[in-house]
Amino acid sequence: MPQVARLHAILWGVFSMGGFIAAFLLPVLIYLVGIAYPLGLWPVTGADPTTLILDHHHLGTLFLFVTVAGSLYHGIFRFQSTLTEIGLAPAKRALEAIGYLIIIIGILATAVYLLQYNPSFFSLP
Amino acid sequence: MIREWTSFFVAVFSLIYIYELSLFASGGKADALNLLRNPGIIAFNVLALLFTSYHALTWFYLIGKIQPIKMGKTTSKPWQALLVNIVLLVIISYAVIEILVLR
Repeated sequence: MPQVARLHAILWGVFSMGGFIAAFLLPVLIYLVGIAYPLGLWPVTGADPTTLILDHHHLGTLFLFVTVAGSLYHGIFRFQSTLTEIGLAPAKRALEAIGYLIIIIGILATAVYLLQYNPSFFSLP
Repeated sequence: MIREWTSFFVAVFSLIYIYELSLFASGGKADALNLLRNPGIIAFNVLALLFTSYHALTWFYLIGKIQPIKMGKTTSKPWQALLVNIVLLVIISYAVIEILVLR
């Protein structure tokens, strides 16, 4: 398999994994953080969900990283290819470059912010 | 085409949440929580949940269509994959709430 085709297959494979993450983990995160907390709905009673999740140290930090990074990759990857399908095909290369830049910066930023909040993440529980 | 546009909400929610995490990490927790209480953000999050749920359901259906499972002489139907994965989604969501929020 040529190298470009292999890379293409890997990128679509990661996209597919991000699709699973966005399907199984993102809805509950959106509900907890974006709806239940500001509207005071079950199961949030007082403390904000992000703090509660991050208080579970390793598991909570890992959950947030996997959910946000996977969803970001899936969302941006699909959105940039959607834009090329609706008439922006001439700008395909530029859209891909911007898309991958957002994905890389977003995933790195997520990791850095989570490690800033939980600096001892890599120490044993 | 609606399915493709769900990715917009997935991407934008992720970017907003990364910004929230940046505020948490830099000690601006109060600002992050105020942003979450903004009516515009709440409205966006309701839309994002609807579109993400639509994404999840169509994704589950597609899995059943692309990778049907052979069981003896019969093969699984897409609606069966949809049903099984909806049950899984409910279990996973409840597990996240129970382990990471309620405990």
